[in-house]
Amino acid sequence: MAVGTHTAGGGLPVRAAHMKYSTGVARVIHSPLYRYTLGAVAEWRYGRILLLAGVPVVWMLMMHIGPIYEMLRISLLSSYPPQPGVEAEFTFDNYALFFSEKLYWMPLLRSFIYASVATAVTLVVVYPVAYYVAKVVATGNRSRALLLLLAPFWAGEIIRIFSVIMLLANRGAVNVLLREIGLTERPIQMLYTSFSISFGLVYMVCLYMLLPLYSAIEKIPKSLLDASADLGAGPFTRFRRIILPLSRDGIVSGCSLVFLTCMGVFAAPILLGGPTTSMFSETISSFFHGASSRWPAGAAFAMIMLAASLVTVGLFMRVVGGSKQRTF
Amino acid sequence: MRAMFHDWPGLALKSFYWLFVLYLFLPLSLMVAVSFKDASFISFPLGNLTIDWYAKVIQDKQFLDACLYTIMIAAATTAIATVIGVWIAMLIGSLRGAAQYVAFAVACLPAVVPGMISAISLRIFITTIDLPTGTVAIILGHVVHAVPFVVVMVLTRLRSMPGNLVDAARDLGADSIVTFFRVTLPYLGPAIFGGMIFCLLLSSDDFVRTFFLGGYRPTLPMLIFARVQSGMSPEINVMATLVLVVTAVVGLYAEYLTRRSRIR
Repeated sequence: MAVGTHTAGGGLPVRAAHMKYSTGVARVIHSPLYRYTLGAVAEWRYGRILLLAGVPVVWMLMMHIGPIYEMLRISLLSSYPPQPGVEAEFTFDNYALFFSEKLYWMPLLRSFIYASVATAVTLVVVYPVAYYVAKVVATGNRSRALLLLLAPFWAGEIIRIFSVIMLLANRGAVNVLLREIGLTERPIQMLYTSFSISFGLVYMVCLYMLLPLYSAIEKIPKSLLDASADLGAGPFTRFRRIILPLSRDGIVSGCSLVFLTCMGVFAAPILLGGPTTSMFSETISSFFHGASSRWPAGAAFAMIMLAASLVTVGLFMRVVGGSKQRTF
Repeated sequence: MRAMFHDWPGLALKSFYWLFVLYLFLPLSLMVAVSFKDASFISFPLGNLTIDWYAKVIQDKQFLDACLYTIMIAAATTAIATVIGVWIAMLIGSLRGAAQYVAFAVACLPAVVPGMISAISLRIFITTIDLPTGTVAIILGHVVHAVPFVVVMVLTRLRSMPGNLVDAARDLGADSIVTFFRVTLPYLGPAIFGGMIFCLLLSSDDFVRTFFLGGYRPTLPMLIFARVQSGMSPEINVMATLVLVVTAVVGLYAEYLTRRSRIR
């Protein structure tokens, strides 16, 4: 009788051996091919480190750091992509170009203002909502209340921007409603103005504020609120003295995320803005399109934007994040 | 009555919450409503309703092609980003102290860099490594964007894993590879699933990276963007509505599955 068939011997051990080999993983592990290759590597100490760290380290260096490093390098060259006969030189001219013309630095200032305003508005609007879901809604209904807020964000950037047009266009819902109730006779120009951009930005990014705020507020123990209420603190005092300080982490990460996202938007100002509201993303992209593409200048501008946004967020974290001291 | 008056902050918060929900849903509902409009321009009130635009869109070759292309890119992105994301999370989970901090910061870098800058830097990068714009470049860009989210989700779950599970497997003679596939990976299952759904949504929604890395074949967001720029028509509403319905179904199904597994 052939060895290894489960009828052989009829005893339990053979059955057990059969069971052991019945999974795909077990069959692979016990094959000589595995034992002499991957298995051997896994037994060897440095082999384990290589298995664990090899792919992640190469990936992160190449794909996470690589593009940013390349952008920095290109931004210091006089010409790129390489052309035959043209020697690329090391230069700071691309950075100097930014400061030379209002046409260039004005959009960055504008991006900066839009992003700041959108961040502030989002914080003020979303905070009560996050608080309501985290602390007022009963625990059982919490995930449902949160889901209702998350669901619209599955739609995606372009569709959400497009839906804002439905609301704000000259023949859109708001203008038609205003005319019907007799408040205006002629449509108010809302689309292609700074109002529509700000509105669209807030509509696009409020999720990034909601989630950090929610998880920070949810962690505040209810007993603290009860204790302060027992000691006679009114709703306003409780908010100012307990909830606000303890949700500081959420405020910092929410604001940083929203600000960085707003700085980097590209489609929203194109679809919702007009010629006088162009943002820095459009300035950068103009260097990469058309016949006169000047990549090094575009790269330098992108570096300036990256540095400006990261420095702002860093300062914000220092100022608002403050000391990491905790009372408990 | 008195109880109601006493709870005025709660009541105010509740009404504010529902106002906010209305704010989130109103533009999207209007968009869906206009997709049934019986005229070739977008305006209110709607007037007569029709499903003619739907009939037109589902015969639109460009739209169907964009759907296929988007799904293909999203699937490839999800597969690659999940593997790399889990791998990076395993590495970070095994590090200690400053090394862990640095690795985590580098892993999250692509999620923090503003979208536009990420797109530009990738555009420069693929030129350096001589990769033409097109499908491969788009997938690469989407994977770079999606990996940090997988890392964060998987790492959160990894940190809640009892260490003695791995020790037990090692004591019983499993090598580190076997332990990973038979013990750690199944434990990470729900987080990986959540990460995959997130990758799918991220990739199919992405505009700015696709815009700079793509060739002539448009994905859905690019197609809708191009149509919006070239002139409004309820056709765009139909496309957006169809995408909305599909993503909502995927999202709700994922939500249902994760909740069911959490209860178990």
